[in-house]
Amino acid sequence: MDDLQVRRSILSDPKGRDDALNEAIKNDIAKQKFVQEIDALDDKIAQAMNIPVPDGLYDKLILRQTLASHQQQKSKTRVRLAMAASVAFVMGLTVNFMMFSSTYKNLGDYAIAHVNHEASHFSNNGQPTVTLASLNDKMAAFKGSFNSTFGTLMFADYCHFDGSKSLHLVFQGQSSPVNVFILPDDKDIEFVANFANDKLQGRSLNFNHSNIIVVGDKKEPIQQWQDRVKKSITWSI
Amino acid sequence: MATKQVRYEALVKALHADLYRYGYWLCHDKHIAEDLVQETFLRAWRALDSLKDEKAAKSWLITILRRENARRFERKRFDMSEYEEATITDVKATSNEQEIENYWLREKIAQMPEEYREPLVLQVIGGFSGEEIASMLSLNKNTVMTRLFRARNQLKEAVDNEPTLRGLHNG
Repeated sequence: MDDLQVRRSILSDPKGRDDALNEAIKNDIAKQKFVQEIDALDDKIAQAMNIPVPDGLYDKLILRQTLASHQQQKSKTRVRLAMAASVAFVMGLTVNFMMFSSTYKNLGDYAIAHVNHEASHFSNNGQPTVTLASLNDKMAAFKGSFNSTFGTLMFADYCHFDGSKSLHLVFQGQSSPVNVFILPDDKDIEFVANFANDKLQGRSLNFNHSNIIVVGDKKEPIQQWQDRVKKSITWSI
Repeated sequence: MATKQVRYEALVKALHADLYRYGYWLCHDKHIAEDLVQETFLRAWRALDSLKDEKAAKSWLITILRRENARRFERKRFDMSEYEEATITDVKATSNEQEIENYWLREKIAQMPEEYREPLVLQVIGGFSGEEIASMLSLNKNTVMTRLFRARNQLKEAVDNEPTLRGLHNG
């Protein structure tokens, strides 16, 4: 290690002397003196840089943080309250939506679900138990009447059809019962003319203030059923 | 919450003096230095969870303070000439021999170019190694060592050449 290098490393970092440096100054009085000089200078520099810290700076720092965190907490409480209110509001809306809106997207979906739900109650080999007169009694609620019977009417009664009162007729079909629903025209639920799932198919007809829906299995001539209903029904004002 | 508070108070207690001194040597103004330290600790409080290693606390705080100091210049340009920057008011300067010497040396330190002074302050007050200073100032280590060498060399020359004039300065 040459002279210049020694001076350089002592001046750039007086406290960080490595072994090579210690070795270089061990037997050199001039270098030792230089090291002492720089150490003394460094002490002076450290002393000069060590300017007095203002009284109470520590307390001021703690105070400011306490105030800041207090404010932060206040605004946090406000945010939390707002969030709780929002959640409550959304929950209210959801409950409202679930309780008072149609569960099914359209008439067809509901009709199929209804038929599936009641399928076990009806067998296809029933006897005609409903007379034309009693059927028309019930039809009066929908301001309509049948001029004649068609097919074998096994069952006729009021049903709830997605929240509205409807008349549910069950006829004997070729292999499974055919369902006819007469229900008031309800704007809340979408009208579909044709619908089907893997087993059932159906058609809807819209009259002035009623919908008539026919649902049967895939083998059933639904179009024909619909035409029969259309022909035999008359609407009063 | 309590542990964060305890951590913070310990941090302030241990490091506020060094940080204040470092801030002072950055801006040469006691009041600005105090503001800088307050801003720095406030930011540190908000971000305290991001400080994982307590050993890194000092360099972390110094980094925040340097950024705060830079922001001061973004906000507002101070009209400070070289001369004003070097003027240091020190009411204790006349109290005794040691203080006179300190005062004189402080003036020399303040007159040094910023790029030499900052690494020197970090080394002497902060006790950081060359590598640490290099990473804090985003310089390479050789540059830092050269600047430290020049800084001490300048101060040494000043001390060697001017002792007789000192009296005139303060008298």
